[in-house]
Amino acid sequence: MIDANAIVSLLPDFLPRQRWYGAVDREVAGVEVDAFEVLREETPTLAWLLADVSFEDGSSATFQVPIGLRPLEQTERFLEGKGRSFLGDVDTDDGPALVYDALVDPELALALVRHIAPGEDVHRVRPLNVEQSNTSVVYDERLIMKLFRRVAEGPNPDVEMTEALASAGFGHISAPVAAWRRDGRDLAVVREFLDGGTVGWALALTSLRDVYDSRNDPSESGGNFAPEAGRLGRITAEMHLALAKAFGTSPGDPAAWADAMKSNLARSRARQLDGKAIRAKYEQLRKVKDSGVAMRIHGDYHLGQTMRTDRGWYVLDFEGEPAVPLSERRALSSPLRDVAGMLRSFHYAAQVALVERGEGADDAELRALGRRWEQHVSDAFCAEYFGTDGIDALVPQDEDDRQRVLDAFVLAKAVYEVGYELANRPDWVGIPLEAVTRILES
Amino acid sequence: MARPIDFGDARWYQRAVFYEISVRGFYDSNGDGTGDLRGLTEKLDYIEWLGVDCLWLLPFYESPLRDGGYDISDFFSVLPAYGDVKDAAQLIEEAHRRGIRVIADLVMNHTSDQHPWFQESRSSRDNPKADWYVWNDDDQRWSEARIIFVDTEPSNWTWDPQREQYYWHRFFHHQPDLNYANEEVRDAMLDVVRFWLDLGLDGYRLDAVPYLFERDGTNGENLPETHEYLQRVRATVDAEFPGRVLLAEANQWPSDVVQYFGDGDECHMCFHFPLMPRMFMSIRRAQRYPITEILAQTPDIPDGCQWGIFLRNHDELTLEMVTDEERDYMWSEYASDPLMRRNIGIARRLFPLLDNDRRIAELFHALLFSMPGSPVMYYGDEIGMGDNIYLGDRDGVRTPMQWTPDRNAGFSRADFAQLYLPTLMDPVYGYQAVNVEGETRNPSSFLHWLRRMLEIRREHPVFGIGTFEVLSAENPSVLAYLRRLEMEEGRESIVLCVSNLSRFAQPVELMLADLAGKVPVEMIGRVPFPSIGELPYFVTLPPYGFYWFTLHEEGSDE
Repeated sequence: MIDANAIVSLLPDFLPRQRWYGAVDREVAGVEVDAFEVLREETPTLAWLLADVSFEDGSSATFQVPIGLRPLEQTERFLEGKGRSFLGDVDTDDGPALVYDALVDPELALALVRHIAPGEDVHRVRPLNVEQSNTSVVYDERLIMKLFRRVAEGPNPDVEMTEALASAGFGHISAPVAAWRRDGRDLAVVREFLDGGTVGWALALTSLRDVYDSRNDPSESGGNFAPEAGRLGRITAEMHLALAKAFGTSPGDPAAWADAMKSNLARSRARQLDGKAIRAKYEQLRKVKDSGVAMRIHGDYHLGQTMRTDRGWYVLDFEGEPAVPLSERRALSSPLRDVAGMLRSFHYAAQVALVERGEGADDAELRALGRRWEQHVSDAFCAEYFGTDGIDALVPQDEDDRQRVLDAFVLAKAVYEVGYELANRPDWVGIPLEAVTRILES
Repeated sequence: MARPIDFGDARWYQRAVFYEISVRGFYDSNGDGTGDLRGLTEKLDYIEWLGVDCLWLLPFYESPLRDGGYDISDFFSVLPAYGDVKDAAQLIEEAHRRGIRVIADLVMNHTSDQHPWFQESRSSRDNPKADWYVWNDDDQRWSEARIIFVDTEPSNWTWDPQREQYYWHRFFHHQPDLNYANEEVRDAMLDVVRFWLDLGLDGYRLDAVPYLFERDGTNGENLPETHEYLQRVRATVDAEFPGRVLLAEANQWPSDVVQYFGDGDECHMCFHFPLMPRMFMSIRRAQRYPITEILAQTPDIPDGCQWGIFLRNHDELTLEMVTDEERDYMWSEYASDPLMRRNIGIARRLFPLLDNDRRIAELFHALLFSMPGSPVMYYGDEIGMGDNIYLGDRDGVRTPMQWTPDRNAGFSRADFAQLYLPTLMDPVYGYQAVNVEGETRNPSSFLHWLRRMLEIRREHPVFGIGTFEVLSAENPSVLAYLRRLEMEEGRESIVLCVSNLSRFAQPVELMLADLAGKVPVEMIGRVPFPSIGELPYFVTLPPYGFYWFTLHEEGSDE
């Protein structure tokens, strides 16, 4: 017998140490067992736990933690240096046991995927680097399991969207091989692993390092990223066309978008933001006559969600912004919100590659180069995106309206980023703040 | 030490390294300013020392030389400036004695307008060869066919005032296309094929094969009739001259090029054109995708076939097989001076294209020698020769071979003014700085490095005929792949190649758990690396660095 409550009592200490906790600015007020089940009795033991966490600020979340247990005297090499993944010790019928996040244990990671996708014959495990809101494990370099850390009622958008995109014939995603659902909640999904792929973010940094080091103009230098960005723009448009086909569209509602942006702004506690000026920019949306459609979109679209492979660009991770409630993440919005997300990502890449250079980051010439890289790449992305056949039916056709909508979403994204960085990476807050200033001055 | 040729080895071309030579530019034995067959024969010791397996000679036939000899005016004789048929026979014999095979260019598609066949054909509309070329009353037929030499030719039709008709030509207007719809033409070309194979030649590089036939409503490329005829050529060669090779020049996308292998019953080899410009793009963009993408789009080829892969050759760096966007990019990157552009390509030699960066030159050759296919090198690239972009057409990359720092680069005893093209004399690539003698004396020269790499490649047939598998790597600047070959007694030869395409040092983690327990041994220095385990295998690479490893069983002495 394993005492679920004993394990749960370890969570207030454990959860805030995890990257996927995603609530650095919120204290845990209480933890309760939502569901608990032992999936495998033999040693090492595998248990499955859903914990309802309430925070000091009155909000709450449900976290999923697969639990591994091994006798305390057993020391395993894979546990070395994994202190962050330990919950602590508990007493069991077989004596004291070490409790840890089961995904760091290759044997248990295999047991879990066999439980989810019994038809798959897998042998080898490779954990991926920690992600924001879920944990991924690669099996035999062939399959990848993504375990959602924060679960919610209703379908997980990542599973729902990729299944829909696959049936709409959009080939630039990795379609689910198996999904793990309980009581209407999506817990994990298993897909084909994209072999030979590089995350778009890494590719952009490769280009930027070359630009900054050579100091050549981004359009001329070897690291020219514009053609890749152009291809990405086309894939993005095709993704939107497929989503429109799969889920349908409704008329865009710019006034509602403005309201949502304003309420998000009101929730932000960032003192650095000029609320009045930002609201004025959002208000511009009310003048928009031709707003394009509202539809299901990716929702958290940036370079880190794209992967370049030998077969072109692929789009990953349709979960939406992790810090936003599920109901909002599945809400309809303008496809330009995804475009805005990618444009913001180009800015981030240019800035992060600059920060990498340490003291050199203060160089005015380099800053100007970074700005030009961003502009050059953004132009290429937009030219292909808006040039794709059929996209006119989804986005504003009027140039001014298109720009107004896009600007508002870019600004809203940057405002969101300010909040996100203050909560998670305060050192980086200067990046979105710069973007906010830039948009307000334009 | 001569390596005798095994004439029973019918698939020698799958493991061979080819070396492309312009007879005119290699060595002048009689002091008339033009290289010749005897001169080439005199230099065979050098070629043997270098360690290549097969020479590919640019056309040496009788010709007015308005297109570097690709305008042939007599298929059965040698251009007098190069020697005669006996000299050709002697060259082949001496090469074979040194373990070196010889293939030569053959232009089947067209002849020179000076060829007696054309002179007869144009003389009237009812002479015996009236139908040997493609004649028409107007110049509108087959307008779907693209013009290849867009710099100089406004149309594929040219008016002949003598016969008062237009004749068809896919290349220069002085190179009329033969009419393969005519049975006599098809037979005549087979006799040409037989003539030189009879003399001992080991095969042909077939020039411009996609254009042999024409048909209404098509672009006149890759027609089924063309493939049928090539199959007939192959059957003739197999029946009468087994072990000889046909290497096709078909500048097409890989999916179209593979048709020229047929079912293994057409050409033995085809050039892989799109790979080469993409290697240049990969280096400039510091990422592997231009290369891996085109390899992923390359279909499997029939058993017994092989790709010919190359870095540069006697033509421009051809950009027909890249997209418009890529072409603009290549032009802006590698041909900043408009003089460097020729037709749809870039007329430059390898080293100037690489800004004379030896690190990239080494990396490029390491890729060339380890990717799937038989490498084809171009004379002079082994010493890092440059080009002369002020010469017309593609002559800039066809200047005399640089043997010594002496007069005329040791190429010829003629007066300088008599040379067929001036030797390079600029401070960076001129013959006083770049020549065989100097590089032979310097043990750390590029030439010695290259020779060592050729030696290593020769010891490992896996490079020629092994399978090819690109490995996943999160770092886009790293290109890693495995070559594997089943050997006798169940042994497997495995080579791991890891290359850094960027000018910065790069780390990479390779997922090699399938090969856990094996020890990578670096192939140049025979240095064993840490054995492969269950965890990702970590390698760091210097700028433009590369490693070739053979994978050995742990504890074995191999």
